[in-house]
Amino acid sequence: MDIGTGHAWLIPALSVLSSLVISLALLLKSVHVLPKNGSYLSIAAIGSGFLLFFPILRDLLSNGPREYGLPWLLVGGTEIRWSMLLDPLSVTMLGLVTLVALCVQVYSLCYMHGHPRFGWYYAVQSLFAASMLGLVLADNLLLLYITWELVGACSYLLIGFYYEQRSAAEAAKKAFVTTRLGDVGLLIGILLLFKVTGTFQLSGIFDAVATGKLDSATVNWAALLIFLGAMGKSAQFPFHVWLPDAMEGPTPVSALIHAATMVTAGVYLVARTYPIFLAAETVLSFVTIIGLITTLMAALLALVATDIKRVLAYSTVSKLGFMMLALGSGSLAAGIFYLITHGFFKALLFLGSGNVIHATERQDMRELGGLRNSMPVTTATFVIGSLALAGIAPLSGFFSKDEVLIAVREHQSPFVLVLTLFSLFITGVFIARLVLRTFFGAQTHDSSHYHEAGWNMTGPMIVLAALSIVGGLVVFPFFGEMLGLGGGFMEFINPSSGAHGNAGATVHAAQFDTAMALLSTLVSGSGLLIGWIFYGARLWSPQAISKRMTPVVVLLENKYFLDSFYQAIINGVVLVAGLLVATFDRVVVNDVAVNGLGRIAVFAGDRLKYHVTGKLNNYGMGMVVGAVIIAAAAFTFLS
Amino acid sequence: MTAFQLLFYLLSAASIVGGIGVVWSTNVVHSALFLVLSLSAVAGVFLVLFADFLALVQILIYGGAITILILFAMMLTRVADEAVVSDSPQKPWGVAAAAAFFGITAYAIYNTPWNVGTAAIQRVPFRDLGVSLFTQWAIPFEVASLVLLVGLIGAIIIARPEDRE
Amino acid sequence: MIPLQHALIFGALLFSLGLYGMLARRHAVMVLMAIELMLNAVNVNLVAFSAYVAPGAFVGQIFAIFVITIAAAEIGLALAIVLRVYRNKATANVDEIDLLKW
Repeated sequence: MDIGTGHAWLIPALSVLSSLVISLALLLKSVHVLPKNGSYLSIAAIGSGFLLFFPILRDLLSNGPREYGLPWLLVGGTEIRWSMLLDPLSVTMLGLVTLVALCVQVYSLCYMHGHPRFGWYYAVQSLFAASMLGLVLADNLLLLYITWELVGACSYLLIGFYYEQRSAAEAAKKAFVTTRLGDVGLLIGILLLFKVTGTFQLSGIFDAVATGKLDSATVNWAALLIFLGAMGKSAQFPFHVWLPDAMEGPTPVSALIHAATMVTAGVYLVARTYPIFLAAETVLSFVTIIGLITTLMAALLALVATDIKRVLAYSTVSKLGFMMLALGSGSLAAGIFYLITHGFFKALLFLGSGNVIHATERQDMRELGGLRNSMPVTTATFVIGSLALAGIAPLSGFFSKDEVLIAVREHQSPFVLVLTLFSLFITGVFIARLVLRTFFGAQTHDSSHYHEAGWNMTGPMIVLAALSIVGGLVVFPFFGEMLGLGGGFMEFINPSSGAHGNAGATVHAAQFDTAMALLSTLVSGSGLLIGWIFYGARLWSPQAISKRMTPVVVLLENKYFLDSFYQAIINGVVLVAGLLVATFDRVVVNDVAVNGLGRIAVFAGDRLKYHVTGKLNNYGMGMVVGAVIIAAAAFTFLS
Repeated sequence: MTAFQLLFYLLSAASIVGGIGVVWSTNVVHSALFLVLSLSAVAGVFLVLFADFLALVQILIYGGAITILILFAMMLTRVADEAVVSDSPQKPWGVAAAAAFFGITAYAIYNTPWNVGTAAIQRVPFRDLGVSLFTQWAIPFEVASLVLLVGLIGAIIIARPEDRE
Repeated sequence: MIPLQHALIFGALLFSLGLYGMLARRHAVMVLMAIELMLNAVNVNLVAFSAYVAPGAFVGQIFAIFVITIAAAEIGLALAIVLRVYRNKATANVDEIDLLKW
């Protein structure tokens, strides 16, 4: 039996199964029966998913995209299906999600070791991975929405994993509520599309868009609403506030959220429904603007953050904006390419920061330094990840970043390109600051008892580091052909080879643009250099600079006052409105309506009970009078 | 006015008078005897309306069984010992309510278009009635007999003096 | 021939008398007698309809027979109850049997 695209459903199904088994064991209070409290079960599920990815990819390459499913509901004339689409886009994501989830789960074996809710952690991890895999495979918007919400719910559980700490509970709530704001938009968008096309199937909707059955206003609205959902999930400005706070979760969870599951869902959603966006020019510009704003403002925030996870979180926000910028520039392939390589090195960076936190139990870089001696593997892999993030040749980030820059150069104004390059410059500065202050320089604490993490923590990091180094090469046709992709990654992913031919898609083949490569390397390199001057060589003092730019620093340290602004809105509008509603509920609904009715009944009963005399004659009189009245009424009104 | 009509009005008048006596008399035994008069007159009305079998049943059951039963009940509840039985204080209201009921019924009777056939009233032979009762109406008939049986047993159990242990 | 309406008016009169008896009498046996009057009024109506509206079908008479049967069962049971109540409360006046009032 050949294993191929037809078996893709097994991948999420296995993880769901493992999640259910672990949860059941938890319910029966017998999780210790499972191997390693269920963690091996979860790892086995996601590991087999990752292994299944290869035959599926081979089958996809030889037999082309495939769409299949089971009927689920028949409502009126609409059939809703459990259906999945295996095309280059979804299969690529499949590989990324299973790989990162596998790395994170292996890593967590050590990181979460001994935690009282160890089994629960793996149950949710499994479900989280399964939801994301379901989201990736989903071929209709309803299924997509369900898995989308499942991803949100699981992230809520994992961010709030240390719910004994108030800050973790708050962060989980903030993440859930903020993304919900966007989800409402997504739901409305899905329903709008269903209303005008009568189907949830992506293929049907794309056909309707392609044949021009929908007027341009509808397409624009639908695209905008879908993008709202993506903005919430992918932490785009102004919904980005939840992601830095999501650091309250365990660090492996952060790695998973940032690299493969949660935030990439938004980018993937836009990519999945890209034909709609291509038909909506206005929204595409909106995507560009939001992406640009996000990438710039988050990069600047990363400059002043001191918590290492927070710096990484802002860098993720910045890079998500970068991906959106690529998508807004009409290059699906560049956006997804960046998503994949970013997945590798961002997971790596988070796992590295996890090592640091695990060993030192500190995560403020002002309290850290000189860890390179005690943690050589972590330092080496972390530096690789950082250089990839900065986009230094020949690491993967270099190639993927260049593809995005080329797309931006070709489709946007030079002004946008300049701003994008500026964000890359800032990236170089903040990542240099992070690496130099954490791993180099003077030791701020006695590090003799710090030690390198075990193999199941460093192992996944080494795998990810290797991929961060070579992952970018798939962009070249020669490398892609070596893997059997039939050309470079860009040709592989580009929508025209997808199941739904998107004639309008702007496809550009991978091109190694020397000028752009030089320019971007120059920019990133100078960023790194500036960072080194400030934090490595300490030739200039960053304090002197920040003193001269006090207003800017204050603005950044307060995160543009967005959090305060939102809090003010919540206090001034939401809570006041809630108070009004609560008062209305108490006074009108409760006192007047509910209790009032009750009081009327009591009062009436009090008065009327004296007419219940218990005397037969009185009752008979009542019957006769009633009969006479009814008869009289019947003769008066009915005849 | 034919003899039939005369007979009908006379019998109904007798029945009404009997009815008035039943509800107006202050002596319970008189009431019971007026009931016999009223019900017997109703039997006569049945005869006039060619319901011979019903007339017989009426005399047998009402004139005989039920009246006897009522007299027994009076004896056992010693109501016959009282010279005069008092009525409920809502007596005047009772008059008004009953009059209103009669008024509305009479109004209904005279304002409803009755689909009266032109055929003359026919005498129903006992034989036809009997055959019909035991064929077409056999199941209700049997159920009615069951009801009577249950009523009989129930009456015995209710009226029986409590066992003294 | 007697008009149908006259027979019905006779029935209505008899029924109203029974009604009055039910409303005005206090003694349980008297109330039961009033009820007998009402049942008879119903029978008169049934027989009249049977004779005038559907001559030859005599369904009304069959109904009347069942009414009489039920009436017999009813009066038997009702009198048993009256006896029982009289034994327990030493009265058979319906307005003194008012345990179910407020």
